[in-house]
Amino acid sequence: MPVTKRDRFYKRLFEIIPGFLTWATMISLFVLAFVRPLWVAIFVITFDLYWVIRMMYLSMLMLFAYRRLARERVLDWFEKCKALGKTNGMEYRDIYHAILFPAHKEGIDILKPSIEALENSNYPKKSMIVILSVEERAGEESKNNALILKREHENNFKAFIVTVHPKDLPGEIKAKGANATWGAKALKDFLDFEGIDYEQVIISCFDADTCADREYFGCLTYHYITSPHRTRSSYQPIPVYNNNIWHCRSIARLLELGSSFMQMIETMRIEKFVTFSSHSMSFKTLVEVGYWPLDMISDDSVIYWKCFLHFNGDYSVVPMYVTVSMDVATEERILPTIVKQYKQKRRWAWGIENFPYIAVGFMHNRRIPIITKIRRSLNVLESHYTWAVWAVIVTFVAPLTLIFGGGLFRQTSIGYNLPSVSATLLDMSLLTMLICVFVSMKLLPPRPPDVKRQKHFIMYAQWVIAPLVATILGSTPAIDAQTRLMFGKYMHFQVTEKKRHHKNKT
Amino acid sequence: MRRVDKIRRAMAFYFAVLLFCILLPVILSYALGYKIDYRHFKIYKTGILYISSRPVGASICINGKMCQSLTPAQIEELKPGDYKVEVRKDGFYPWEREMVVRPNMVTKADRIVLFPITQEMKAISRGGIRDFTAYGNSFIYYMKSSGLFRSDMDGGDMKRLSSYSDWPYDIIGKRFSVDGNELLFFTTYKLSMLHLQPGAIKVDEVFTSQDPIIDAFWYPSAGYIIVVTHRDIMVVELSDFERRNAVSLYKFNSRPRSVSYDDNKGSLYFIDTRIGEDSKNSNFLYRLDLKQKLFTGLMQLLIKKEPDAGYEKR
Repeated sequence: MPVTKRDRFYKRLFEIIPGFLTWATMISLFVLAFVRPLWVAIFVITFDLYWVIRMMYLSMLMLFAYRRLARERVLDWFEKCKALGKTNGMEYRDIYHAILFPAHKEGIDILKPSIEALENSNYPKKSMIVILSVEERAGEESKNNALILKREHENNFKAFIVTVHPKDLPGEIKAKGANATWGAKALKDFLDFEGIDYEQVIISCFDADTCADREYFGCLTYHYITSPHRTRSSYQPIPVYNNNIWHCRSIARLLELGSSFMQMIETMRIEKFVTFSSHSMSFKTLVEVGYWPLDMISDDSVIYWKCFLHFNGDYSVVPMYVTVSMDVATEERILPTIVKQYKQKRRWAWGIENFPYIAVGFMHNRRIPIITKIRRSLNVLESHYTWAVWAVIVTFVAPLTLIFGGGLFRQTSIGYNLPSVSATLLDMSLLTMLICVFVSMKLLPPRPPDVKRQKHFIMYAQWVIAPLVATILGSTPAIDAQTRLMFGKYMHFQVTEKKRHHKNKT
Repeated sequence: MRRVDKIRRAMAFYFAVLLFCILLPVILSYALGYKIDYRHFKIYKTGILYISSRPVGASICINGKMCQSLTPAQIEELKPGDYKVEVRKDGFYPWEREMVVRPNMVTKADRIVLFPITQEMKAISRGGIRDFTAYGNSFIYYMKSSGLFRSDMDGGDMKRLSSYSDWPYDIIGKRFSVDGNELLFFTTYKLSMLHLQPGAIKVDEVFTSQDPIIDAFWYPSAGYIIVVTHRDIMVVELSDFERRNAVSLYKFNSRPRSVSYDDNKGSLYFIDTRIGEDSKNSNFLYRLDLKQKLFTGLMQLLIKKEPDAGYEKR
């Protein structure tokens, strides 16, 4: 987006700010632990209390969201659409669903269940257009797989478009957004040929492994028709990672459950809500804003910000209490699973690239109220900053004061009380884990026949390692991403390889 | 977002903020050692007394007032000042001390050892014991007029090991070898060794000194004994020959008052008098590194030359 030298300067400045704040916090706390242990101890206790209460508050929001999900996921949304009739000048028969799968090297075993999920949906398939956009750089096998799938499934849908995204196009980086844009342009050509109005088309950009709930398209259509500003909204389902949840490693399962929980919580914080992973929007809007960015990694969230800037802040995300199920990023062995999860979380944490994007965008846009600009920028900055520092503060800073604070500090009341006060506060935050266990068990799909009954026990027992997993993988990917951005070491899109392992893992 | 969800979220949010605002001053003041008097809206500085004892579970009295908690205990919210602290437990001598509690600080008494009242003392053996020595936590050896005996640490499983009964009355020191197979014991002039290997229990006279013996030690590699007398430091070779080699490593200028031996390094520390830089006699602490110097000393003995003392002024 930056075009002038001034823009480039500010973009670079805003790229530095998150990493600078994170490192400044960590270094200051480290130094102060030596020279002013009392200040650090007061800060640690304050932060621990803030963290406990924040965890409790977010757990409450998650429960509220879960209640809505439990109530709404069982509704027959297609019947509701039919009952609506013509609303806001549109009815369900007018709507076409374009489902775009930007794929890389995912095999037929990954893509086929995603397409079958569309076929199993409680919605007329003849209103659906499937676009499978495969990467040229993925090789001939990818293309052949796409053609096999087209041959097998095209008769079930209105159309099944297979397109190959050429490699190394000018202005593009190796990112999913570039492939998605290519696929969306192929759709545009199709719609132009068919003479279909873009506003009648809802495009859902799905990961290759995304299996939509059978009520997804009914629910989406209902919200789209009833929304008074249907083209000024994105439509966000709740992502769950149920495709291989019974077959993956516990450590990966816990991390992905955390992502699902965060999305459920975000549905209750609508003013901060940003699109994430698989989601839907009006095709008219997508064309109007100029598709997904070609040179950014976090295409799922940046498309929201692109719309937000384009429509001068008049853009929101409508939460949908239906699920889309994806794969847990896992491997056969634990260490490669940790590495895979780390890389995936680092890619998500690279979402901090949105901060310079929106900050520079806000500088150019004079129509968005200044309060909105400040609030939205700080929301993004705060969420990524907290992500990067919380585990460091909670885990390492308190012991640091006791180790380096000196004998005199340890003899003070606060030096003496700090370990017990911190431990008590953090123990209280473990109570929120009970809510997590409850919701995770409720979201769990039925046990597949090849999985032993005892695996149910592991689904409970796995939470014992949650604090350890949170400590190790809680902050480090975010610190890594922010540090890279701070030094201008830009990331390239690293595809999280999806593999289904059908052997039981704990 | 539905209206009901908005209301629920707002309630949860304001409750969380309220909870934070209420709990933060309470927790911080507790951690910092302040006490809030809600009745009079006053804040006091307090201190903490931490008391830990061995054995644990002792009761604590502060200024004559019994505390509810037992050791180890943390008594909080004490106003700064002097307190008379007593730690009591049945069957043990009480512990008592004046302690100063300072504002926002922790005063610790965490090394209190309560000694049992001697009524639990019991005789574990009797009859004709001339001397005894314990080997680690395994055995007690009894030098009795009826022979050499051994029991476990409770006096049980008593066994007679030997009929040897000619134990001296004035044993001033005993030292086991590293493997526990030999016991060195000495009187003022005589050094003897008790061999404890099963089936070969016997007592050998090792060395008779011209000067009173102060102490004796095993040389680290065994086979030698370091003997410290009023006059010198000697090495005695343990061999089967009738006449054992004895080498004087160092001659004292004055009668040594204090000797200490480092088993691991084979270093002997002692005080001796020497003429200092001010031309006056003065006490110096020396270290004699026996491990290094002994071989040289023995070599010098073989070529009939007086060895140099390998010492170092400290």
